[in-house]
Amino acid sequence: MSNKKILIVDDDPDMRLGLHIRLKANHYDVVFAADGMASIAEARKHMPDLIILDLGLPAGDGFSVMERLKANDSLALIPVIIVSARNRHANLERALKAGAMAFLQKPVDNAELLAVIRRALGEPAEPKKLAYLSEPNRRNLLF
Amino acid sequence: MKEKALQILLVEDNAGDARLLREMFSKEKPDSFELTHLLRMSDAVIHLAKGKTDIVLLDMGLPDGHGLDTVRRAHAAAPSVPLIVLTGLDDEALAAEAMKEGAQDYLIKGQIENRALPRALRHAIERHRMQSETEIIRMQQMQFKDEFLSHVSHELRSPLTAIYQFVTILLDRLAGDLNRDQGEYLEIVLKNVKQLQSMINDLLEVTRVQAGKLLIDLERTSIPDAVIYTVNTLQGAAAAKEIALRSDIEGQIPSVCADPTRLQQILVILVDNAIRFTPAGGTVSVQVRMLEEDPNFVVLKVSDSGHGISPDMTERIFERLFQSPDPALAGRKGLGLGLYICKELVTRQGGKIWATSAPGQGAVLSVTLPVFSLPNLIAPAFGGERRAECPITLVVTEIGSETGWLSDEVRAEQSHWARDLLQQCLHSDLDVLLPKMGSTGAVELFFIVAITDDIGGEAITKRICGRLEDRAHIQHPRLTYASTYRSIEAVSRKTNESTAAHLENVATKIQELINEEISSRMVRSEQ
Repeated sequence: MSNKKILIVDDDPDMRLGLHIRLKANHYDVVFAADGMASIAEARKHMPDLIILDLGLPAGDGFSVMERLKANDSLALIPVIIVSARNRHANLERALKAGAMAFLQKPVDNAELLAVIRRALGEPAEPKKLAYLSEPNRRNLLF
Repeated sequence: MKEKALQILLVEDNAGDARLLREMFSKEKPDSFELTHLLRMSDAVIHLAKGKTDIVLLDMGLPDGHGLDTVRRAHAAAPSVPLIVLTGLDDEALAAEAMKEGAQDYLIKGQIENRALPRALRHAIERHRMQSETEIIRMQQMQFKDEFLSHVSHELRSPLTAIYQFVTILLDRLAGDLNRDQGEYLEIVLKNVKQLQSMINDLLEVTRVQAGKLLIDLERTSIPDAVIYTVNTLQGAAAAKEIALRSDIEGQIPSVCADPTRLQQILVILVDNAIRFTPAGGTVSVQVRMLEEDPNFVVLKVSDSGHGISPDMTERIFERLFQSPDPALAGRKGLGLGLYICKELVTRQGGKIWATSAPGQGAVLSVTLPVFSLPNLIAPAFGGERRAECPITLVVTEIGSETGWLSDEVRAEQSHWARDLLQQCLHSDLDVLLPKMGSTGAVELFFIVAITDDIGGEAITKRICGRLEDRAHIQHPRLTYASTYRSIEAVSRKTNESTAAHLENVATKIQELINEEISSRMVRSEQ
C-alpha cells in the first residue's frame, strides 16, 4: 500500500523541516506550501490525503485558505488540521466552523499530532513503528 | 469666561426638606445652579437617562424605593454621575453603606449649613472626576498589560516549537545515533523546553483569568482517576529528585461535580509544587478523603516533607506573582502563578483551597470539591417542600454527527453554545440544566429536569428545537440536533418521609431514566 500524502502549509522553514522529518519517519509522504496562494496550487497538484495548516500565513491566512478549499469541489473533502501558535480559545470556534477537523496549539506534542493525523485519515489508533531516518532530504525543503 | 450652570437633580419626597434645600441654593448666583426636583425614583431614573445631570442629591427613603436599593438604582442608571445621599440623623450607618454602593458623600438633614451645601456639591463633582480618570487610566493599563502578555506568550511559542521539534527528532534518533551523554543532555534540554512551555501556558491562563474568560465545564468526575493519572505523570520528576510520590485514596470516594481537565490541572500544579519544594530523599503524598465536617465535599490533600510555609504566608502564597522570601528556597521557583491559578479554578468549581504548615515540617495543601449529587442538583427546582409532589419531565437534547463521530473539540465547542442556548430556554426557578452526566458515546447529551407535566415538557422541547434550528445552519454543517422529552409520574411521598429522603427517591427515578437514555444511544452507536 502506498503512503498517505500530507500537505504542510507553514511559512516557517524550521517548522516545515521539523514536521517533514517527523512525518516521513512515520511513513507519510510530505509536500509543502509556504503561503496561502501556494497552498491551493499545491493541493490541486498533489491531491493530498490531509492538510496541516498554519493560521498566520503570507498571501492569504489560514482561514482564507480553508474558505477556498471548501469552495472547490475536488478539494473540499480533504481533511484539514490547524496547527498554530495563535490563541486556541479565540480561534477554535471559527476554525471548526470553517471546516477544520482539529485545532492543535504549537508546540504540539508529537504523540498527539500523530494520533490526530491517524484519526483524520481514518487509520487505526495504534502507532506505526517508528522508522529511523539517517539523512533527511533537506533539498526538498529549500524553496 | 462664564461658567456653565450646574445641573442638580434633587430626588426628595418630603416637601419641607425639599423647600429647605431650595432655599440654600437661593443665596447662590442664580445662573450658577439649575435645580430639578423630582419626587419619585422612577422619574429620577428617566431623568438620569437623558444624561444632562451633573450631580444627584438623593433621599434614601422614597415612596418607590428603599435605602440602599435607591442608591444602587440611581448609580446603575447613571454610573458616571456623582451622587450625594441625604439621610436622617439616626441613619449614619446606612449612609456609610451607601458610600460603598457608589455614593460620593452623605449629608445629614437638619445639619446642613447654608454655605456648605454648594461647596459640598462642587467638591463631590471634582472628586468624582478625578476618581473616574484614575479608574480609566488603571483599566487602560490593565488591558494593555493583558494584551501585551498574551501577545508575548504567543510570540514565544513559535521558536519554542522549533526547539521542541528538533530536540525530539534527535532524541528519537531520527537523525542518527546518539551516545549516552548526548542523549542525557538532550533530555535536559527537553525538560527545560517543557518547563518554559508550562510557564507560557500559565501566563496565558492568567490573562484569561483576568479577562474573565476561564472556561470550566462541570461534569461527573472521578477524583481517584485524576490522582492516579497525576501521580503516574509526575513519578518521573519525583524519582529524578529521589522523592517518594504516593497516593492514598480512602475506600469509596464518590464522584465530584468538576471539570476533569481542570481537576487534573489543579493536581499537577499542587504535586509539581510539592516536588519542587521538597529536598531530595523526601516524600510527597496525595490523600483523598471525605470531608469530615461536611459529607457534601471530598477533600484532597497534597503533603510534602519540605521546608514548610511560615504561618503568615499561608494565605499570601495564593496571591498572583507570589515568590517565597525564604532564602532556603532560592533558585528557580517559576513565575508564582501556579497557586493563584489553582485558587481561581477551585473557587470557580465551588470548592475551597487552603494551606496548613508548621515551618520545618512540610506543608499540606487542601482542596475541597462538591460531591456529585443529583438530589442536590435538582433540589432548587423543587423549592424545598413546595413542589415536592409535582409532575416531572426530563428533556433530552442530543447533538450528533452524520459521520457518526464527534471529536473532543467539536464536542467541547458545541457544548458551550448549546448549554448557553438551553439555559435561555429554561424557567430558572422550575427547571434545572444538569451538568454532563458522564460519557454518552457517539453523541453529546444534555438533560433538563423540569417541574412540569407533558404539556409543559412539549412546550420546552418545541422552544429548544426552534432555537436549535435557528442556530444549526450557522453551526457545523455535518452535525445533527434533536430534542425530546419524557414525563415522569409524580413520585408520591410517603407519610413521615423527610424532604431529603423524598428528593433522594425522585433523583433515583430521574437517574434511571438518564441511564436508559444514555444506554439506548450507546447501543445505537455500536450497531
